[in-house]
Amino acid sequence: MLELKDLYFSVGERNIIDGINYTFEQGKFYGITGPNGSGKTTLAKLIMGINAANSGSILFDGKEISQLSITERAKEGIAYSFQQPARFKGITFRDLLAMAAGTEDEEMLLALLRRVGICSLSFLDKPVDTKLSGGEIKKIELATTIARNPKLAIYDEPDTGIDLWTIQPMVRLLKREQKEHGTTTLVVSHNRAFLEAADIVLMISEGKLVYRGDLQGALPMLNDLSVCNYRKCVGDRDVGCYR
Amino acid sequence: MLDAIDRELLKTVADLEGLPKGAFNIRKNGRLLKREVSANINIESLADGKGITVTIKPGTVNESVHIPVILSQAGLYDVVYNNFLIGAGSDVTIIAGCGIHCGGPEPEGHAGIHEFHVGEGAKVKYVEKHYARGSGRGRRSLNPTTKVILAAGAAAEMELTQIGGVDEANRVNEATLGPDSLLLITERVLTEGGQRAVSTNTITMAGEGSRANMISRSVIKGDSRQDFHATLEALAPCFGHIECDAIIMDNGKNETIPALKAHHPDAALTHEASIGKIASDQLMKLMSLGLDYDEAVNRIIQGFLK
Repeated sequence: MLELKDLYFSVGERNIIDGINYTFEQGKFYGITGPNGSGKTTLAKLIMGINAANSGSILFDGKEISQLSITERAKEGIAYSFQQPARFKGITFRDLLAMAAGTEDEEMLLALLRRVGICSLSFLDKPVDTKLSGGEIKKIELATTIARNPKLAIYDEPDTGIDLWTIQPMVRLLKREQKEHGTTTLVVSHNRAFLEAADIVLMISEGKLVYRGDLQGALPMLNDLSVCNYRKCVGDRDVGCYR
Repeated sequence: MLDAIDRELLKTVADLEGLPKGAFNIRKNGRLLKREVSANINIESLADGKGITVTIKPGTVNESVHIPVILSQAGLYDVVYNNFLIGAGSDVTIIAGCGIHCGGPEPEGHAGIHEFHVGEGAKVKYVEKHYARGSGRGRRSLNPTTKVILAAGAAAEMELTQIGGVDEANRVNEATLGPDSLLLITERVLTEGGQRAVSTNTITMAGEGSRANMISRSVIKGDSRQDFHATLEALAPCFGHIECDAIIMDNGKNETIPALKAHHPDAALTHEASIGKIASDQLMKLMSLGLDYDEAVNRIIQGFLK
């Protein structure tokens, strides 16, 4: 349902995304991981149109979307949860949720709260400002993404600022959305809980897609990439070569 | 007595569909149009006819008084002096506001000089909206002055809004706070085209335990300009804060100068100020919810000025 072809994005001389080709299947749950600065968030932003690719194409349900704006991609059915969600002045969670769902109907908004599992109704009228904790604003971000009823939901580090006890319910929520609504789910994460929940783990290193498969297969490479290693690269099966 | 233009202006500046319930005083084109008083709220004209004194009996609660001004007479510059004597222990809302309809090339304007004496332990909420409209090219100016004197334990919440169409505004806000009193001022101003607005605020925190919070939200579009000056002066142990944010669009210009003056070692004064364009992360978030660029800008500004 989402096809990336020869995708490049560079800043100056440096290729942040360096020729990625991959096809995401309808209804699957993908965990995108890799070292810090490897290009995971950039890849997610290219799909949403937050950054424009230098070259290559992005096909969504067979339609070329690489020239479409963020708004147009949202209307095509792509939703995005930001790693660092925006904070506003004078805009409440209710306002954002109503914009996302396209309705101000109280019952429908409450149904969305129940669907996301935010129990406290008082949450609805909270201003989405700098007074919110990191965990609160991430829950709001997640809820507004789900409220879009997207075909493709992209979550960039959804667990940032979330307490340990909320991570498993959050994983269950995204899995439930995948199962009940057929949402194709892309989660950019370092968190094992999300990677374990993924049908397919993709690993990005230095802007390249270096692994696709299950988590077990990715672990040796992840362990290697997460520590400093100055030894010489000894062949194309040596994970050190992908540094 | 109220024509269609009057009704539209009253609706915009005072949320009135017709004549309000309770005490009110409607002034049109420099003259009294209609007045009602209540058992607890009295309104009297000043001897020279250039204003009113609103007297609220001590202990009056859950009552409101509307005092809107409407102008639609070409060439008129209406100056009005209004005094509010708010009795101890009362809890009231005062809704003011000025609407100008300018249909011709001559200028029109209004200067409302309002003085509030808020009695011991009394609470007042003051809501003031300024708005101008009309197809005429005459300049529309609104120059309000607000003076607030808070007695011990008194509280005043002031919402001051200029929503559009005003070519020139020169606002002066002054307040003196007694012991344990509380002052909250929220000022929202939107300018566009070649409009100009200046707001000068001086808050003197004279009483121990007094608290003040001044919030200013400015949106400056087109070639307009806004200047915001705010001074918090502490003479006693107190807490004061100024928060001023300006969003600049197009070629808008803004000067924001918050000043803190502590004349007592136990005074705690803070300020935060920002000037800039709409943050790109806010725009991207709303666009990712399906709003186009212009809708996202409008929604952010609407919230900012809410």
